[in-house]
Amino acid sequence: MDTLTAMRLANPKLSRFSPMSRIISFDDFDDGFCGYTQLVGNYEHTLDSMLAGYAQHTHPQLSNLANWDSGTHGSFDGNYALKLQTRPKRGAQNVALKRLTFREPGPIRLEFYFTFKPEANELRLSETDVRSIGFLYDLQTGFEKGGTRVMPHVRFLNALDGKHLQKWQTKSRTTAMLPLGTEGKTVTHYHLSPTDWEDLKNGEQKLCYNEIPTKVNWHYVRYDFDLRTMRAISLQCNDRQWDVSGVDPIVIPAMRNLWCMLNICFFAEADTDKRALFYLDSVCLSGEFA
Amino acid sequence: MMRQCVTAVVSRNEVWSGKAASEPYECGWAGEAIVWLRCLGAVKGKPGAAKARVQISPDGMRWVDEGTKLKFPAKEGAIAHARLTNFGNFLRVVADMPKGASAKMLLTLTLKE
Repeated sequence: MDTLTAMRLANPKLSRFSPMSRIISFDDFDDGFCGYTQLVGNYEHTLDSMLAGYAQHTHPQLSNLANWDSGTHGSFDGNYALKLQTRPKRGAQNVALKRLTFREPGPIRLEFYFTFKPEANELRLSETDVRSIGFLYDLQTGFEKGGTRVMPHVRFLNALDGKHLQKWQTKSRTTAMLPLGTEGKTVTHYHLSPTDWEDLKNGEQKLCYNEIPTKVNWHYVRYDFDLRTMRAISLQCNDRQWDVSGVDPIVIPAMRNLWCMLNICFFAEADTDKRALFYLDSVCLSGEFA
Repeated sequence: MMRQCVTAVVSRNEVWSGKAASEPYECGWAGEAIVWLRCLGAVKGKPGAAKARVQISPDGMRWVDEGTKLKFPAKEGAIAHARLTNFGNFLRVVADMPKGASAKMLLTLTLKE
């Protein structure tokens, strides 16, 4: 075992991760929000110009997973997890993100532990009340002619229309770009629209979902992506791994002000008129560069 | 350690009418909070007669009045605030709006350890 690996395995904060050689960020939510904020939609002159899909977003929360029947559950490591909470409406979404830029266009690895539940306002399992949880990168190449904005999307479709589907999906298309306001500087598109999700091949996965809606178990995800080719490499969740190199991300023309953008976004969707709760603890982003 | 301080925008450009309530916000890590309720406009009727108040909850689902009341900001740009301590883990603001009254609101929490 090399020294670097030994040091990481001996560090209880990092020992549950397998980061690439350089850790770019390590977000333990016992330390605060760690740069995660709500995704606010674009607007110009008035908030009324914001698309409805974005207007519904609210601020993420630091949660100790408090339950009415059993008290505080706590997070994976310590007391607090980052919580994304949708509104209590079927199809409602919420998104939290961290906004970075990259300095080395090479392989990066996103690792995180997550769990999800609906609001426990019924005395039943409620395993189909959360539609999905997921994540995406919002990326743009470094400044170049013909540059691109690239947005790989991944979600775990837990349930749809009351059916417990439990499968991973990806997305390769977004909605049309819409201009906002009158100054010609701001546009928007709704990349999290319910359309255009595609099943990942052999992407069904039965995740541990405990017997009542106030018990949670934490799951591991690892997602490798190459910023040089702007293509995904692999996806892992717990004991399952997929080669996703054949999956096309959303690709649109570069925008004039987003060069080297590296945004990490997490999102949740409700499938019933009940709040969906998506918890993260912790998140590790690493890259393969010296 | 430096104290954590976070600004959370809980309601943004939401039309408040009838029995209005902000989304539950979990913030038990904070020892103090300031609730800011600002009117963004689109005022209809007489929302100034509304009773706005802070509520707390043991679980984010069942709510009781915390005791703090806010004078409802009924004109565009008007802002009301209240300072809170000992609020437990969940906060929200509710308002019983008079019949026919509504306004677009911005609810902000300033939270500090």
